[in-house]
Amino acid sequence: MNKTQKDLRLLPTNFKKVAFGIMLLSALFVILYIFKIITIDKDMVKTISKSGFLISLLLLVITRNKIEDELTLKIRLKAFSASSIYGVGVVILEPFINLLFDGSFLSDMGVTELLISMFFFYFIMMFIMKKNR
Amino acid sequence: MKNKIKIQRAIKELTQESLANKIGVSRQTINSIEKNRYVPSTILALKISKLFGKSVNEIFELEEND
Repeated sequence: MNKTQKDLRLLPTNFKKVAFGIMLLSALFVILYIFKIITIDKDMVKTISKSGFLISLLLLVITRNKIEDELTLKIRLKAFSASSIYGVGVVILEPFINLLFDGSFLSDMGVTELLISMFFFYFIMMFIMKKNR
Repeated sequence: MKNKIKIQRAIKELTQESLANKIGVSRQTINSIEKNRYVPSTILALKISKLFGKSVNEIFELEEND
């Protein structure tokens, strides 16, 4: 691992397990609510599950891969920038798309949803670039 | 940038995987370098040339459009 890779301060690989654990707990929380095993406010369930999902995705992004070399780092940075461009693009284009579909398209897109979609875009970009390296 | 990693690897009877393990990168990175899809950093180029016992210039060569 070179200096640039160390400067990125990524979390150790084991944090992937923590991330998947949090994701699973968030999903479990929603399932328990759907089957009425726990009875709490719907908004509360939404907030907790979204936050859990967001934290798990963030952990997955900032966790080191098993083999982290300079090509992986380049791919990671490219995926980061592509995801940022996607985020800005969505924010700029959203009003126009809503105008086009009478506000029925992307109407529920809040900050959390935008961040989650940005994370997914990041993972898709990483996957494509890793396949084509 | 052209390189002679594949030839040097054949001389030393090394697989992409074993070369990758020796210099601490993934096999895909070695494959990308060999196919000229990725230009390695100075550190990686030095590591590769040191492993083959050659100078960097003997392994890596600039092309006209570089």
